[in-house]
Amino acid sequence: MTATLQKKICMLGAFSVGKTSLVRRYVSSVFSDAYLTTVGVKIDKKAVDLDGRTVNLILWDLAGEDDVNALRLSYLRGAAGYVLVADGTRPATLDVALSLRGRVENDYGPLPFVLLLNKNDLPDQWTITEGDMIGLRNAGWWVRSSSARTGEGVEDAFIDLASRTLR
Amino acid sequence: MSTSSPEPLEWLLRPPSGENGFDRKALAALLLDIARNVRPELAGTPDAAPATDIRLEQLRTLLMGHEIELLARLSNILDDPEQLAAAVGRILPTAFAQATGDARLGQVLAPSLEKATQTSIRNDPHTLVNILYPLIVPAIRKSIGETIDRTFQSLNETLKHSLTLRGLAWRWEAWRTGLSFAEVVLKHTLVYQVEHVFLIHRHTGLLICHAAAENAASQDPQLVSSMLTAIQDFVRDSFSGAENQGIDTMRLGELTVWSEPGPIATLVAVIRGKPPEELHDSLNAALSRIHQERHQALQDFDGDGTSLADVEAELTECVALRQARPQKTRFGFPWLALPIAVAVLLFVSARVTRSWQEDRRWDHYLAQLRALPGIVVTETGRRDGKFTLTGLRDPLAADPQQALGAMEIDPANVIARWAPYQALDPQIVLKRLAATLDPPPDVRLSIDGDRIMAEGAAPAAWLERARAIARTLPAGAPILDLASIRNLDAQADRRWDDYVARLRAQPGIVVTETGQRFGKFMIAGLRDPLALDPEVALTEAGIDPAHVIARWAPYQALDPQIVLRRLQATLTPPPTVRFVVEGDRIVAQGSAPSLWLERAHMAARILPSGAPVFDLDAVKTVSDGAIGKLRDDIQARTIRFDNNEPLPASGQDALLDQLADDLKALETLAPSLHVVARVMLTGHSDALGKGTFNLSLSLARAEAVRALLRKRGVDPDLLQVRGAGDLEPILAQPTEAARSANRRVSFTVELEEQL
Repeated sequence: MTATLQKKICMLGAFSVGKTSLVRRYVSSVFSDAYLTTVGVKIDKKAVDLDGRTVNLILWDLAGEDDVNALRLSYLRGAAGYVLVADGTRPATLDVALSLRGRVENDYGPLPFVLLLNKNDLPDQWTITEGDMIGLRNAGWWVRSSSARTGEGVEDAFIDLASRTLR
Repeated sequence: MSTSSPEPLEWLLRPPSGENGFDRKALAALLLDIARNVRPELAGTPDAAPATDIRLEQLRTLLMGHEIELLARLSNILDDPEQLAAAVGRILPTAFAQATGDARLGQVLAPSLEKATQTSIRNDPHTLVNILYPLIVPAIRKSIGETIDRTFQSLNETLKHSLTLRGLAWRWEAWRTGLSFAEVVLKHTLVYQVEHVFLIHRHTGLLICHAAAENAASQDPQLVSSMLTAIQDFVRDSFSGAENQGIDTMRLGELTVWSEPGPIATLVAVIRGKPPEELHDSLNAALSRIHQERHQALQDFDGDGTSLADVEAELTECVALRQARPQKTRFGFPWLALPIAVAVLLFVSARVTRSWQEDRRWDHYLAQLRALPGIVVTETGRRDGKFTLTGLRDPLAADPQQALGAMEIDPANVIARWAPYQALDPQIVLKRLAATLDPPPDVRLSIDGDRIMAEGAAPAAWLERARAIARTLPAGAPILDLASIRNLDAQADRRWDDYVARLRAQPGIVVTETGQRFGKFMIAGLRDPLALDPEVALTEAGIDPAHVIARWAPYQALDPQIVLRRLQATLTPPPTVRFVVEGDRIVAQGSAPSLWLERAHMAARILPSGAPVFDLDAVKTVSDGAIGKLRDDIQARTIRFDNNEPLPASGQDALLDQLADDLKALETLAPSLHVVARVMLTGHSDALGKGTFNLSLSLARAEAVRALLRKRGVDPDLLQVRGAGDLEPILAQPTEAARSANRRVSFTVELEEQL
């Protein structure tokens, strides 16, 4: 049982971008959300099947932050990769995601990551243009729009991230 | 680079084989050989080229000019120790880094390092101390802390169990096994089981391996291990702990979570119950073994636990660490314990028997005490192995302490508290009376039912005291019966009693107190001075006044007898008067002059209230009866006179005759009545004329009437005359009629008792 492959993945993003609800439906979780507000982190697990081998992504869901300085970056120690989450209806959260990426890179060097632009089930409020997405992709970023409601993009993101951590 | 090989250095150090370090001959031969190979037609050329050929030198310079220069520099460096040291110094760190994998490096360096360290310590120990301080202090602190923890734990357990029955059993076990008592206690009390063991990669927080006891429940161990790491990080970040510090113990009810950090992996044990501190050692040992044996695999761990799957066996061993609640084990028959058990049994039964006997004796003693007069047991009990006793005791009762000795009870084992009281048991009252009365030898005191009988003979004084004491005995006490005591002073007593009785019967004497004191009779009371003199009565009674103390206070008695005496003394009544007591009245009888009677009436009025009535109604006055009538007749007459005439007016002879008859009757009647009669003839004039003339005229008129009466046979000694002049007129009017009435001679009769 313990002989399976595990990877530590961190979930990062601004406050209330839907990080937690994004993963809730797709992960096995035993801890309550209260950990987020108390300890600042909540551990979930997402099993991903890669070429017949199960990779357990140990997801460290870090408490979303309004103030950039409030994040405990020490939680990223030993992470194999991370998921940046921004709210597609709030451009400011994308800035937070970019800033977070910068700080992670600063402290831990380049790590595989994916960027999810969440809440794409609200198209009338959507503010991120296709151009922005393309721009980011051209910079080498793996970007998807996602929806906690429909689950769109989530599975892909984890599979992609898992395969990249194994490279 | 091939720095790992020592070859190049050896080559450099090899001594040159020719002059200038250059073997020209060999070189020439070599060149020739090469030329022959390239051009076989040159095979016939002579074998050796002249060694001095300049071209060889040029060739050499051409081919190896750079190397030669390099070599020269290198040899310079090698020759100069300073330069060599600098060069080696530059590569040394890299060299050590490369050689880390080689076990020989450690072996080679160890002696030098040891020596260097020793020297350093010898030179200045502070340097090394300063270096080691940050490492040693936390280590020491931790070690001390754990030792103290362990000590406290063992102390707590020891204290908790040292006095229970189980504790005694454990003491027995300690004695039997030779272990310390604390160890035995720990062995029995530290019931615990290691339920989970996690081996967690410190860097990533990923689970390397996990083992759990069969019955242990838990969540996904992968999640748990990450969460544990997160919490460790959280605490470390929040309270700025050092890198290697973190939570080492967490407690949740029955569960204890111990975290043992290793260099790469942390061992986390979840323990149910109370783990002994020694368990730390076991867990640490397991962790060290894992680190030693699987060092490389641990270091290479990147989330793939496959290569470390065999560590699970080690963890399973840790899970097996447990201390179950001791089962009741069946031993064989404990022959060794038999004699001890018998000895204990004998000892206990001896104690029980002794205690039982003691109790019996104590009960017996209490029963005895309760039966004793003058002792009341109110409370008994046992405290701290001693008998306690509380009660009341009359000081005259038997000594409880003595009875204790008689019962073979150790007085030291008895705490007795006696409050003193006065008992009313006949026996005790008898003792008390015997002590206070000090009866003469002839008197015997004995108990008869609920009374105390005194028998024998005693002087009156003792008897008197005994009576007094008998009267003051408290209510409810037995009665002291003195009736059977013969009074040795009976006769004197009787005389005294008679005397007192006589005095009591006397009017004017009130006896308020009698008794005997200091062997003398004593009497006190009130006495009217007119009453009987007690001294006299004493002599009459034949009692020696020297044996009597008498105190009499004077008072005025209201007894009729005494009042009568007092009246007689103050009124001095004429012999014709007698006083008689009739009931509560004093009646005066007989006749008396009116003056005396007047005084007597006065005295009767001022008698104090409550005194008998003084009745004077029966006393007659002298002027009553015939003589009174004679007096009144005489006094009613007057002889009239004309103006300026000393002789009575004419026509009054009959009147004078009648007057003379009355006077003569008075003269004869008075002596029979023991009365002396005197008749005063007072002459009066009218107011005309001079006073002196009138005075002498009035006197002359009185004399004239006396002479006329003498003539008619009246004793002149009976008659006295006086002249009043015009000073006592009957009528004051200035008329002739009034004047005529005032010209007269009047008569006053005075009757006086004959004494």
